[in-house]
Amino acid sequence: MPLGTVDRRAPSLFRQGPSLLSQMAFYSALALFLMVADARFKLTEPVRQVVASVLYPVQWLVIQPVALVQQGAGYMQSLEQAQAQARAADQRLVQVAQSAHLADQLLDENLHLRALLALREHLVSPGQAAEVVHDTPDPYTRRVVIDRGQTSGIALGSPVLDANGVLGQVTRVYALRSEVTLLIDRDQAIPVFNPRTGARSVAYGDPSPGGGGNIELRFVPSNADVVDGDLLTTSGVDGVYPAGIPVARVLRVEHRADSAFSRIYCEPMARVQQARHVLVLPPVVAVEDAPTAQAPATPAPVAKAAAAKPAATKAPEKTAKPAPAAAPARARQESPR
Amino acid sequence: MIMPRGQPLLLPVNPVFMGASLVAALAINMLPLGRAAWMPDLLMMLIAFWSVHQPQRVGMGLAFMFGLCMDVQHSALLGQHALVYCLLVFGAVSVRRRLLWFSLPVQALQMLPLFFMAHAVALIVRLISGGVFPGWSMVIAPVVEALLWPLISGLLLAPQRRAPDADENRPL
Repeated sequence: MPLGTVDRRAPSLFRQGPSLLSQMAFYSALALFLMVADARFKLTEPVRQVVASVLYPVQWLVIQPVALVQQGAGYMQSLEQAQAQARAADQRLVQVAQSAHLADQLLDENLHLRALLALREHLVSPGQAAEVVHDTPDPYTRRVVIDRGQTSGIALGSPVLDANGVLGQVTRVYALRSEVTLLIDRDQAIPVFNPRTGARSVAYGDPSPGGGGNIELRFVPSNADVVDGDLLTTSGVDGVYPAGIPVARVLRVEHRADSAFSRIYCEPMARVQQARHVLVLPPVVAVEDAPTAQAPATPAPVAKAAAAKPAATKAPEKTAKPAPAAAPARARQESPR
Repeated sequence: MIMPRGQPLLLPVNPVFMGASLVAALAINMLPLGRAAWMPDLLMMLIAFWSVHQPQRVGMGLAFMFGLCMDVQHSALLGQHALVYCLLVFGAVSVRRRLLWFSLPVQALQMLPLFFMAHAVALIVRLISGGVFPGWSMVIAPVVEALLWPLISGLLLAPQRRAPDADENRPL
């Protein structure tokens, strides 16, 4: 009998592929590789894009009933509540209109002054309204998903605001959705400016329970002039956030004997927990330097930018002092109260 | 396979039903219910269930793919759920021969350490990569998953318990 005619493969009952342990070793190694590639080198964005595109229809379908229930709940709210809301909105509109007139006037004046001084003109960047679709379920980070993506021209690194202040920054862009990392996320940092004292510093997210507030002002010396209730606004030195937008309010200052720095707990001005309608602005440097080659430097990942920010903050950046831009912001911050 | 005395012989599983149940669990996990650490992971339960009952059909590759989907949807670290699900499949397939000899409540009790381990692995991975501790409420998740084990066992094995020859007295 010729050798080739005998089927030498194992019968199907015994052909069960590699052993369970080797499978586990292979897939665990693959998962670990993916995690390192994702966390350290940011290599896995294409994989994410593909999987997200595949999952998008399912996700859309799943969101519909929840959105329907929310809409239904909104529909069922009482008439008095709606009327009260409308009254509050009217009052607010009057106040905002007043400050808007003032801001227009100041802007006009500012333009003239800047033209006189031959300074760079402060650009008003067009924003895009977006809606928060849902919080990301991952309990280890603080992010939300908004309903605008690459197709709407959302850029990586764009600042996101709500009606009261800065909400966060776009950190991942999909085709039809984007992820916004909230200010209270641990990896999120924002350069801030204290309009009362003129001091600049960097605020870091600190969502750990029991901290009080959710933002922490770090590396502020114990003898620095920071008191409870201070308002912090964006400083504008980072090239991402426009200057003068409210960020947080100082809740509590703890002076500690064991450290040269005091612990400063702040509370974000934006409603980070139940944000619904948000505004996405293009990053400032991308707007100003669009033709030059510096633009791609802006939407760098937040962690990297954060490392560079304290150095940038300490440098005496007197040329770009955002005092004129802070004026309308101050008017804005007074208007809601 | 040697079976415990008195258990009915089950019909072969319908692969379409298995796949549909897994996809449905993924969809339920995708429901935007907010950020809650105590939320049980339905997909994890189903992967454990099918790898106990049908280890030939639910392998680690499938668990890995579902894990990646979960990672992207939850915007977690890519590979976190994949690693957890693979370890869970390994644990479940290792204990399956022993597990099926017990009654459902005892099975649930034996699955509890597995689910605990799965969540602990996720926690350790995320804490190493710099996440915040989500709070002690996350201990509830494996307990709820173990408590739901008898329920999903009853539900998912129901199609296999139908009569092999349906007549008008036993239509199902």
